[in-house]
Order: sequence, then structure tokens, then C-alpha cells
Amino acid sequence: MPGDRLQRILAELPPGGSSWTASQLCAIIPELAGVNGAGVMLMSGDVPRGSLCVTDDVSQLIEDLQYTLGEGPCVDAYQQDTVVAEPNLADPPGRRWFAFTPPAVDAGVRAVFGFPVRVGTVRLGALNLYRDRPGPLDPGQHADALVLADVAARWVLDAQAGAPDGALAEELENGADFHFAVHNAAGIVSVQEGISVTEALIRLRAYAYSHDRLLPDVAQDIIARTLRLG
Amino acid sequence: MTREADVVRSLVEMSDTLVDDYDVVDLLTGLADRCVSLLGMSAAGVMLASPGGSLGLVASSSEAMRLLELFELQAEEGPCLDAFRTGERVEQENLQAGTGRWPLFSAAALEAGFQSAFALPLRLRDATIGALNMLNDTRTLIGEPDLIVARAFADLAAVSILQHRVSEEVQRVNEQLSSVLTSRVVIEQAKGVLSERAGIGVAEAFGRLRNYARFNGLRLTDVARAAVDGTLDPRAWGPPSRP
Repeated sequence: MPGDRLQRILAELPPGGSSWTASQLCAIIPELAGVNGAGVMLMSGDVPRGSLCVTDDVSQLIEDLQYTLGEGPCVDAYQQDTVVAEPNLADPPGRRWFAFTPPAVDAGVRAVFGFPVRVGTVRLGALNLYRDRPGPLDPGQHADALVLADVAARWVLDAQAGAPDGALAEELENGADFHFAVHNAAGIVSVQEGISVTEALIRLRAYAYSHDRLLPDVAQDIIARTLRLG
Repeated sequence: MTREADVVRSLVEMSDTLVDDYDVVDLLTGLADRCVSLLGMSAAGVMLASPGGSLGLVASSSEAMRLLELFELQAEEGPCLDAFRTGERVEQENLQAGTGRWPLFSAAALEAGFQSAFALPLRLRDATIGALNMLNDTRTLIGEPDLIVARAFADLAAVSILQHRVSEEVQRVNEQLSSVLTSRVVIEQAKGVLSERAGIGVAEAFGRLRNYARFNGLRLTDVARAAVDGTLDPRAWGPPSRP
């Protein structure tokens, strides 16, 4: 019964109603879903905005790759509003995610799954799951992942609903990563090159792509003034 | 068409309101009308509770019913109110005999030609959000088959309304999150802009942005927007002046 599944999952979280942090929520996901790591990507207006939480470095990489490249399982899951599964990333039957796949495989990812994170028709992002060996999720894991994605969505809305007007909820401010450094860098580049911030973001992204680097890392170098785009 | 087919068709029609162009008055008017046409009731009415908890009349199948329900609310007694307060079904097969229960309501109902009353709460698990009132011009106990149908209609209406309320709230919070994030992004971009213009770190740039906004009674988001657009007074990023 779906209700039982939810109860079982909620029992894994620390007691205290819904006052868990985003990372506590993330932490219970890998074991339940039978994967090595998980991350929750937040998106709006069709693009990644940031990451609610990740459980390990590889999941962090998966998030950062999708943020930089704008492609990947979470992006697809969010944009198509459907569960996306690639159980054999190193030797997939179809061709997709040309830029995302090689670095992910290099990092040891062999299977990835994206589950939409939404409440009703309101879409917030996607839950990312990865494994270091190929193979699909079994029906129980798939069903658990659906419930976990649902719990994550409600957590985000619940957190923000309690925030003062015009401010990010404290839990999101402290727990989530919205890549503000990338926007700091866009501001810097806009002045350095005499262009708009929108153009600056595009150039930052293009630089990251052509140098096989992650956008957040490029941003840090711009801020540290060890890199200049001009 | 058999009664069964009519009932199924009604449930489907009501379910449609869960999806597009939802209108709660339409939904509940449909509910009241169906109680009359499918259950053989003389009249039906639906009340919904406001956020404050007081009942208001939303739909009725006839003008006579509307007036009677308004009277019920005014007199603060009657089957609909009882069903809402208790969350349980309420029946009075013979209004004449049961005048002790609702003296004012019964008198008004009898005068309007009604002889029996039957009410169901609109509820979903612990939440009772209103009630459905059905009156007949004969003394009838509602039969089990009709009770099942009435229950199904009432439950569907309750689910539909609650679903819609949740959906509205969810959308509101999501839009707020989106808007807050967008404003925040502009502030972060402004920090970068000021950092480069003044040759200072991003954190210090934020301090100057904030101080400038405060000192000039401006909103931080407006100052940030101006910084990003290039229309900000250069004094905003200059070093703080000595006292």
C-alpha cells in the first residue's frame, strides 16, 4: 500500500516532525533506493537553478555537470515530467547526453536515474540517483524513489512556505546550493568585458564547455581573479 | 438509461472538474442538482466552511431551498449545521415529529412544504469542510442504495475542493520561491559588478550595496538591479566616507 511505503520511509528520518535538514533527507535515499548516491536538483523556467542536497562527490559531479551543460537525467526528468532511466550509461542503447556521459562514466557512474520532484502539476526539479554498476532499479526501489521524490518536493515547499516575505527559507539558504558564485562571476565578467550579465553568463558557460570544466569551478577562478575571460 | 448509468456519468462529469477550469460553485450546484434528479429528493443545498470556520451557503437546487438554508444559518440550527459540526450523517424522517430537535428550522421547513431532512458532511479523513442537505416533501427514510450514491457524490466533491485548495497553495509557494530566487540572483550579480568596479572582494561589495540602500532608504533589490543595469550612482561602490 502506498501509505505504508511512505510511513516506512518517514520512519527512516530523525524524529521531530518535518524539521529535518535537506541533507538528512538526502542521506536516507541511497539505501532505500539501492543506489550509491543521490542528489536533488532544483529547477525552474526549464533550467537548473541549483542543488538541494547531494550525498557524495560523484552525485555532486552529476549535479554540477547538469548545471554546466544543461543536459542529463535530471534535466530530462524535469523537462519531460517523466522518470528517466539509463541503466547502462557506459554502453547505452540510444544516444543522448553527449557532453554529460563521458565525464560521468569517467567518475565511475554506470547507471543513472532521474525522478521528477513535483507536487501535483507544480514542478520543482528532479531527484538524481546513480550506481557504480549497470542495472535497472527493481520495482520496490523504483516505488520508493517515487515516494522519496514526493517527500523532497513537499519538504522544499514546506520550508519556503515558512519563510518571511521576499526571503529564501533558512533551510534553503543554509542547506541548498544555488551556485551564487556563478552569478558573482557573471557580475565581474560583465564589468571586465563591458557586456550585460546575461551575455557574461553565456560566455562563462561557453568557456566551461570548451575547456571541459565545471561552471562553478570556472566561477571560483573568476572571483579569485586567477582567470579572466577576455 | 438506467439509474446506474446516470450515476456513473455524473461521477465522471464531476471528476472532470478536478482537472480544467475548476469552479467550486459549479461543482456544488451540480451536486445539489444531481441529488434532486438522481435521488428523487425535492431539494438539496450545499454549505462550505470559510477559512474562519463558519458555514456559508454555496449552492441550492431551488429558490425555496436557498431561502430555507439561509434561514438555517441565521437560526443557527438545522440538519446541515449538525452534519458539519459532528462530521456524521444526520436524518430526520419526520420533521413534524422531531420539532424538538430544530424547532425554528423544522417550522420553516414544514411551512415550505418539506417533511423530511437528510444531511451528509463533506469530508475527507479528518477534515470536514461543509455539508450537503437534502429535503423531501414526503416522510422518507433514505434507502441504502441512495445513501451510497449520495455519499459518493459528497466525497467526490470534498476531495475535489480540498485538492484544488492544496494545489492553489502549492502554486503560490512555488511562485514565491521562484521570485525570491530571481531577486537573489540579481543581488549576487550586483555583488560581482561592485566587486569589480571597486576592486574589492564580493563580501565587502555586498556590505557597500547594503549600506548604500539603507543610507538612501532604498530597497536592496532595486539597488542591485541598478548596479546590474549600470545605472547605479558610483558613490554606491566608493569606499565608505569618513565621518
